[in-house]
Amino acid sequence: MTAATGPRQAGQTAASVKLVLSLRGLKKHFPIREGALQRVVGQVRAVDGVSFDIRSGETVGLVGESGCGKTTLGRCVSGLSDPTGGAAYFNISQTDRDGLDALLNIPEAHHSEQDREALAALEAAHRVDQLTGPAWRRYRRNCQVVFQDAFASLNPRHLVKDIVARPLRVYGEATGLELTERTVELLEQVGLGRQHLFRYPHQFSGGQRQRISIARALALDPELIVLDEPTSSLDVSVQAQILNLLHKLQQQRGLAYLFITHNLSVVRHVADRIVVMYLGKVVEAGDTATIFERPQHPYTKALLAASPDLSQDHDVEMPTLEGSVPDPAHPPQGCRFHTRCPVATQACGWEVDDVVRWLEYREGLFDALSAVRRDSPFEAALVFDDEASAKALAAALRSDMVPAPMRAAMDEPALHGREVQLRFREVSEVGLAERGAGHVAACVLNPAGE
Amino acid sequence: MMPAMSEKIPSATCAPAVIASVVDLKVHFRSKQGVVHAVDGVTFDIRDGETLGLVGETGCGKSVTARSFLRLVPMPPGIAAGGSIMFRPRSVCPSCEGEGCARCDQTGRVPAACPACAGEGCGDCAGSGEETLDLLAVSDARMRALRGDRIAMIFQDPGKALNPALTIRDQIAEVFFQHRSAEILDAAGVDGSSVGPQTILLRRQAAQQSRGLEHALLALPPLRSGRNRITAAVDAMIAAALAETQIANPRKIMHRYPHELSGGMRQRVMIAQALACNPDLLIADEPTTALDVTVQARILELIRELQQRRKTAVLYISHDLSLVRRICDRVAVMYAGRIAETSSAERIFQNPRHPYTRGLLAALPSASHSRGQLAAIEGTVPELVDPPPSCRFSGRCPNETEMCARFDPPLEVVDDEHAVACFIHHEPPAGSGERPSFTAKTT
Repeated sequence: MTAATGPRQAGQTAASVKLVLSLRGLKKHFPIREGALQRVVGQVRAVDGVSFDIRSGETVGLVGESGCGKTTLGRCVSGLSDPTGGAAYFNISQTDRDGLDALLNIPEAHHSEQDREALAALEAAHRVDQLTGPAWRRYRRNCQVVFQDAFASLNPRHLVKDIVARPLRVYGEATGLELTERTVELLEQVGLGRQHLFRYPHQFSGGQRQRISIARALALDPELIVLDEPTSSLDVSVQAQILNLLHKLQQQRGLAYLFITHNLSVVRHVADRIVVMYLGKVVEAGDTATIFERPQHPYTKALLAASPDLSQDHDVEMPTLEGSVPDPAHPPQGCRFHTRCPVATQACGWEVDDVVRWLEYREGLFDALSAVRRDSPFEAALVFDDEASAKALAAALRSDMVPAPMRAAMDEPALHGREVQLRFREVSEVGLAERGAGHVAACVLNPAGE
Repeated sequence: MMPAMSEKIPSATCAPAVIASVVDLKVHFRSKQGVVHAVDGVTFDIRDGETLGLVGETGCGKSVTARSFLRLVPMPPGIAAGGSIMFRPRSVCPSCEGEGCARCDQTGRVPAACPACAGEGCGDCAGSGEETLDLLAVSDARMRALRGDRIAMIFQDPGKALNPALTIRDQIAEVFFQHRSAEILDAAGVDGSSVGPQTILLRRQAAQQSRGLEHALLALPPLRSGRNRITAAVDAMIAAALAETQIANPRKIMHRYPHELSGGMRQRVMIAQALACNPDLLIADEPTTALDVTVQARILELIRELQQRRKTAVLYISHDLSLVRRICDRVAVMYAGRIAETSSAERIFQNPRHPYTRGLLAALPSASHSRGQLAAIEGTVPELVDPPPSCRFSGRCPNETEMCARFDPPLEVVDDEHAVACFIHHEPPAGSGERPSFTAKTT
């Protein structure tokens, strides 16, 4: 677990800051079912061991490409789906958090009776998926969500009055006239008014609808709001209005935001800290300024380079990432980014699947491939239909046609008739390592970028 | 250079070195509330080989303008309320047969000759000798011939624009069958000019017109080889089109269905389809909105590279100013059915003149803004139902004067190439002007 410990604050000042939520090794795997019996044949690892903290009153930006698991993570955080491993801990104090980290660092088998009791007590009090009764209700009202699509997240058959007042009614906060007055108050906070009470969602524009969503999320005065791409369907001018509004509300109420987005210029504007995800894992996390000025992970660098910016010189060619995101059901070994990384080394986790992926782009060879006999992700025999193809592959693997680091990570391919025996050096998963105050990155290259 | 307003230009010409020219285009929609003026007097030019960016917020009429080029706006409820879109198609350069020579600037294409005077210059073509079509007036058959061949479009969401029931091959093949059946017959070694029953059947096959029994006849031995040669020829053309968009392994990809491909790949297929016939004008309607930043960067590079190689003119529609700056030569900013400002991309970003353009640029979050201080444009886009004759931006404009509510500022050139529709930069017309009122309109 050491590797997956969240971005730690730079020492002393952090001790006084209140934590709203701590994620520890959070995993969400979705089963792939097949056949008449719907047997589980694999797991899509949407979120695969994510740890970070959200402190009171701060904005954490969660960035990544589509399919990297950021929305799934948001759903786990807000209690809309249960994690399959690890957990989110709500409202845990700094000392308890440190105690929890210490306990989680010990492998379960080595837990003493005391350890187990301490852990159970912490989990019962804070672990989101094990909360019950009043604690669960307290968590639910303190963690609200604003969804991406304001068209789909407001019930078209309810009046604005019902939509915004529903949380207040469910928690018995107000009734009758008081309820209406509280609702008007909420609407006024987001820039709408009494005249909008008796309208339906379809009578509003996209920006206004997003405001209604925000008013609903604010109703119970939560501590944390999960914002799942709140502005991605809006125009820039409306987006600016919403971002200003969110900032104003944060100032007034000391809200913490988990801001999920793929838009880097927005996240740079709103976030105090940024977590960059790739294929279900955190590849880099740190302060916004640090991430933008001194990105350490090649993926972060690629993301930053690819996002167009008005201040950039427009003639500069955009550096682009090759290849596509690998299948999250079979994530690459070692560093998950090594298949697309421009600065990959031999220690990045090259494996048999990389050869197969490379073969897919070789027309004749891939058609001739009849079987892959795997001993491990790093060792396998590729069986071809004919000897010529096997020979061609063996020759290609020794030549410049494959990436140089892949060649370096591989033992000499052995040719046995129609078979090519491959063996790669085994590499364990690349964990997050400290790169500076509160800045972690998961890359085998050292901070100097050698 | 910019034709300022419609009155100054006779409706059947466009300036030289201009491939298409939109003149006072008006597209309205009939609705329950009244007539929506979605596009209301839009004028701009697209020059040879340039990328023109059309920028604006949702509902400002940019997509309707683009779709009008191909007459894809459904009528009714749409109403073509006036204006024209002049387009100069090109044909294969006669001196180099499309190989690329000095005369055609290595593009292999020259403006098509005017059919009335065969390039001599006459009244129809205003002496230029080049064919000029009004896309809103040409016959349906001519429009069908232009669509996908001379003017092509890339749509916003490749997931919706591709037919989920057809393989990639079948979708792209349609373009070739529709516009390139002579080339297909050539490549298949069928003499298309003879009139025997065999040739007729094969010719129909190469134009995707075979029906019912013909398929059975084509499967019989004497015709089968011809049919297979046609299939092989089409496959080769499709593979070449896909390879052009840097799709690896095109022969394999073309037998897949759209759902089997990623978003970036689908957009590449769309681009391959659009560029298959080497169009003169490519309309890209927010081609990267549905894609991730990393994929978006690659698609943009691809469009730019293909455009530079083929010297195709591109009309690039987007709401993302930072993207437009990256790939466009000139930019037209649209607001509420009107052009607010046009200029070269460089100028418009360095020195925006219209308050709306300034507002849009200031609203982009950047590192220099402190949090909560984004300069949002207050208010919302006006309803376009029977708009009053005032500046469309009045009510939201920080520099509003009394004149703005009385007159509609025309798009006028302020300094070379930079045209703005705002009274800050040119005088309002003389006279008092009638202050429009909403009550007076409802008659």
